[in-house]
Order: sequence, then C-alpha cells, then structure tokens
Amino acid sequence: MKVVAVLGHPSADSFCAAVFNSVVEELEKSHEVTAVRLAEENFRPTMSAVERRAYETSTPLVEDATRRHADVLRTAEALVFVYPTWWSGLPAQLKGWLERVFVVGVAFRFNNRGKIRPNLQNVRHIIGISTYGSPWRYVKLINDNGRRTLTRAIRTSTGLHARTMWCGLYALDTCTLEQRRDFIAETTKKISRRLGRKTS
Amino acid sequence: MKTLVVYAHPVDDSFNSAVRDTVVRTLIEGNHDVRLRDLYAESFDPLLSASERALHHTPPSTRPELGRDVEDLRWCEALVFVYPTWWSGLPAMLKGWIDRTWMNEVAWVLPARANTIRPRLTNIRRLVAVTTHGSSKIVNALQGEPGKRTITRSIRVMCNRWCRARWIALYGLDKSTAESRAKHLHRVGQRVARALR
Repeated sequence: MKVVAVLGHPSADSFCAAVFNSVVEELEKSHEVTAVRLAEENFRPTMSAVERRAYETSTPLVEDATRRHADVLRTAEALVFVYPTWWSGLPAQLKGWLERVFVVGVAFRFNNRGKIRPNLQNVRHIIGISTYGSPWRYVKLINDNGRRTLTRAIRTSTGLHARTMWCGLYALDTCTLEQRRDFIAETTKKISRRLGRKTS
Repeated sequence: MKTLVVYAHPVDDSFNSAVRDTVVRTLIEGNHDVRLRDLYAESFDPLLSASERALHHTPPSTRPELGRDVEDLRWCEALVFVYPTWWSGLPAMLKGWIDRTWMNEVAWVLPARANTIRPRLTNIRRLVAVTTHGSSKIVNALQGEPGKRTITRSIRVMCNRWCRARWIALYGLDKSTAESRAKHLHRVGQRVARALR
C-alpha cells in the first residue's frame, strides 16, 4: 500500500516526531511510505497571492515544493497525519500544507456542470495521531477541530470512501514517561494492523 | 471600544478585502478606537519554529519580535477577525498568528501540576469572526464548523468570562452573485455595529 505520512511538529526531537518515526519505521516493513517532515523541509505555510490567483485556474500548482507533494498524493492509498493540537486545531504549517497542496486537480475537480467533485478516491485510509495538552473531556467540550478538519473536511475529497482512525494522547503535560512509551508502542501496532501486512 | 481587527487574505482585491473595509468603516463611524493588523501586508511569519516552541513556558519578554502583537492583545476590548474559511478552518496565516502570539502570560497561564490552562485575556469582551465559505452552509454543518468552534470556544475561553462571540459568515461564496455579495457587505456593517454595542 502507498502511504503518505506527514509530520506537523516543528521540532525533530519532540514526542510527536518520536511517534512519527516509530510508525514510519514499522510501516516501511510492508508498505511504500513517503515520509513528509514539514519542518525539516522548511515548508512555507502561507498561500501566496500568486498561488491564490492560480487556485482559481486549472494550473494551481506553481511551486516545485507543492507539485512534488501533489504527485505523491495522486497515488496515495493511506494518509497518516502526526501533529500537536494547538488551539484545538492543526498547527499553521500543516494547515498550510492542506491549503497549498489539496487544490483543484489533486483533492477535487469540477464536473462538466461545474459542480465540485472528489478527486482522491484512491485514498482508503485517513489516520490521525495527535497530542493534546488538555484532558480528553476538555477536548470534547471545546471540540477537536483539527480532527474534524481531517476526518470530515479532507475526507470528503476521498468521496467519503476512506476509513478513518484516530489516536490521541491527552493531558500530555501530566503524562508519565511510561504512558508516553505505551502510546508509541500501541499506536504503532494499531496502525500497522489497520493497514495490514503485505501478503506476497 | 478599543477594537483590534486582524485580517488575513493574500489578494488585495479579494472580496475579503471589501469585507475588511466595511468592518473598519463601520467601527470608525461607531466611534470605536480601531487598530488594523493586515497579516499578509506585514509579511507576518506564521511559523512557530522549534526554537520558539522551546520558549513555550517562558514569559513574553523572551520573544521581543512579537512585542507589538502582545501589546495589541492586551490593549483591545474587542477582537475582530476577517478571513476566508479554507478547508473548514482558519487560513494558516491566521492560525499561525494565534499559535505564536496567544502565548504564556498573555493569553493563558498553566498553574503547576495542572493540565488545563487559565485565561489571561480578560480584557477582551467581544469576539467577532467575519468570514466567507466557498461551500454551502449544510456542507459546513456536516463538517462540524471547525473554524467557528476554534473562535467561539477554543479562543474564547481565554477571554473575559462574559465575552460575547459573534459569527458573521457568508456561505456559498462560489455561487454568489454581485448582488448577494453586496447584500452581505451591508449585513456585515449592521451586525458588526450591533456586536460591539
């Protein structure tokens, strides 16, 4: 299976990066994984005026950085997002990645009557892994807006075909080292089970 | 009322720029004290870097480059956001502004051993979001309105306990006509004026 895994944490020695590396390493044993570390790539989060104007045309990808990611997305069968939840949502860099790469011809297209249609039917799985400073109950009360963006808004681009899965570590500030270790091990196992092993 | 308007759209002649102008004009006519922050025009960097992330629990004095933002946040009584909704939420530019400037001792404090933060922006009594959605209201409702909830819940709990949040949105911008947009601008003026009463 072709997997695109995206890391949205700025620092390479963060807990999110540790989860990301563990999941990628495990999945690489049986899948074709493209690991995207946005901070390492220095990915610019803002959509520029040029890009915004191009967004309305049939050639919305104007930079190599976004074109490369779009090419991988076109054949991806699973998307894995790993990020810290900040202000109940995605960090700007990850949100910007969606804005700049999920454009017409990639995430959606227009049919001959001008209606918007999904274009990522190739994606069968959307998996999110996030850390939260707040406890689970507080996250539910405020709403998990990052999760909704990925499992609802982005999922519509898959034609609602994709299965979704969510792994959250809550109340991170008061988590013990052991709880964090367990989370990495469990999450890695759960995801590799969901995506299956290659039968050859 | 001391009002901070935070605007984020990359294109100068966008519909959102017209919304911004309507908002600012309405506020000035209502004798409010207005500060406008145009994040794209200022080339604000929305990227919270690894080194800045390491300062998460330090006081704002460790980030002098954000001094103006801190001053604006502590000054205002009303905060008005003008932005386009993209992928159901705030554009990265605006989300990054919040990620970076709503910092320790400005927006919140985290008491020892606690895992929920406590509000510090008690000077803010009005929150207003003025936004446009390309898609229809029903699509946004099904997606759970993440952008709306970011502002009316996540951000609001760091403001004054009695802070009122107002959501002024145009849905279905992709199918709008010049007439329906003009009507919306008129409505924006009326509702912003009412929100800051």
